[in-house]
Amino acid sequence: MSWQTYVDDHLMCDIDGQPGLRLSAAAILGHDGVVWAQSSTFPQFNAAEINGILTDFNEPGHLAPTGLFLGGTKYMVIQGEPGAVIRGKKGSGGVTIKKTGQALVFGLYEEPVTPGQCNMIVERLADYLIDQGM
Amino acid sequence: MEAVVVDAGTKLLKAGFAVPDQPPSMLRRFPSVSSEMDAAVVDAGSKLLKFNHASSEIGPEVIPTQMKRVPEDESLTDASLLENVTVDPVVRGFIRDWDAMEDLLRHVLYTGLGWEIGNEGHILFTDPLSTPKAVREQLVQIMFEKFNISGFYASEQAVLSLYAVGRISGCTVDIGHGKMDIASVIEGAVQHISSRRFEIGGLDLTNLFAQELRKSNPHVNLTISDVEKLKERYACCAEDDAAYEKIQQACSEEQHILPDGQVIKIGRERYTVGEALFKPSILRLEAHGIVEQLVRCISTVSSENHRQLLENTVLCGGTASMTGFEDRFQKEATLSSSAIRPCLVKPPEYMPDNLANYSAWVGGAILAKVVFPQNQHVTKADYDETGPSIVHKKCF
Repeated sequence: MSWQTYVDDHLMCDIDGQPGLRLSAAAILGHDGVVWAQSSTFPQFNAAEINGILTDFNEPGHLAPTGLFLGGTKYMVIQGEPGAVIRGKKGSGGVTIKKTGQALVFGLYEEPVTPGQCNMIVERLADYLIDQGM
Repeated sequence: MEAVVVDAGTKLLKAGFAVPDQPPSMLRRFPSVSSEMDAAVVDAGSKLLKFNHASSEIGPEVIPTQMKRVPEDESLTDASLLENVTVDPVVRGFIRDWDAMEDLLRHVLYTGLGWEIGNEGHILFTDPLSTPKAVREQLVQIMFEKFNISGFYASEQAVLSLYAVGRISGCTVDIGHGKMDIASVIEGAVQHISSRRFEIGGLDLTNLFAQELRKSNPHVNLTISDVEKLKERYACCAEDDAAYEKIQQACSEEQHILPDGQVIKIGRERYTVGEALFKPSILRLEAHGIVEQLVRCISTVSSENHRQLLENTVLCGGTASMTGFEDRFQKEATLSSSAIRPCLVKPPEYMPDNLANYSAWVGGAILAKVVFPQNQHVTKADYDETGPSIVHKKCF
């Protein structure tokens, strides 16, 4: 299983069996910011943004005052799980990031995908990776 | 069938079908000052709890969550064998006694709202701020496993109170019986870094009232439930600081006759209770008054949102419906140190009066009409697949 397959088949899959309903972008990055795999729609990001995200995992609440930036887009930080999941919201869309042992799993969604559906997809894959020791 | 919305507070449980422009259908008004024997009690059938309905009135009624344990065997004629133990399933806003809560919910859902076993519907719960994950998970587990519901959703009370007044952003000052929450919400998401929870509430004000009354009426024997009733009837807020000082010097006294015949005089103590929220030093707490706390909380949010938050402030919770509280709050707000004055929101006209007492419930009813039809809730299938932790992923 290549990392790209994880992204294409498990993150960018059809949600609830409805064709065409899927996340807008997804990626799996290492903790150092190196891309393991990404969807073609995933935005260009820079090191500062990844550092911000990593710091927030280590010190929850770090990103909340300034907001979460990804690819130049600003997301408002909403309730996540300290040290494990960061969730951001922008209008009716948003992002969910879950940290595994060695990776960061990203999922971006837009309307009509709901935050709950994005969470399920990202966290399910991330939990699987954690179980596999990654 | 309409979804059911349940708002379980420390003192009162509000429940009903999701019909937003009506008050919750299960709000039973507690009988006037009662002695221990008449306290409301919940019947579960398989456990040792019985429910005595208070006198039901037309319109909204609220069930007190405090329950009493009574032996099921009615044939016991010896009254001294009855345990007069009060059970509080909800403590300081969080569910603590799960068995009692389950029994209470069983009564509410099956007896009160008329659900049938095997035909349970959807249910929406409200959570206070900073609910521990374990509490939410336990609730989901009980609902799916013991009650076999078909759909579940949980939302924070702060967000719901804002929905009730037609806003998605703003701040809420929720003063309940067991706790006080100051929360800021932007576009339906609570900003946790700028939200604070205080472990003081109506309960502490009742204790303060009892203390003051005992000082001025040393010969009168008061129970806490008596004082609770007196507080709801008499407590009020002075117009401002200066007026409060004047009242401390001289205040007209009122006579009140308790059900057991004792006469009690209530004078300046009623204003002390109202003042305690604006001057916590009365409660022996080193903290700022409530308006100052609100301003401080908001100041931790990025400044572009300040105006939106402060100008959409909602007061909710039973204690906030104290006479004169809102006016005093407005007055303190104009004196506050922030550049933008906190401004209270007026509820829409189609909402019932007294919205503050159950605004979280009404907001829940509004949300239920959106979430369940759009299948954004946790279904039985989801729960079976993922387990209780699904509540953190799907409900927020």
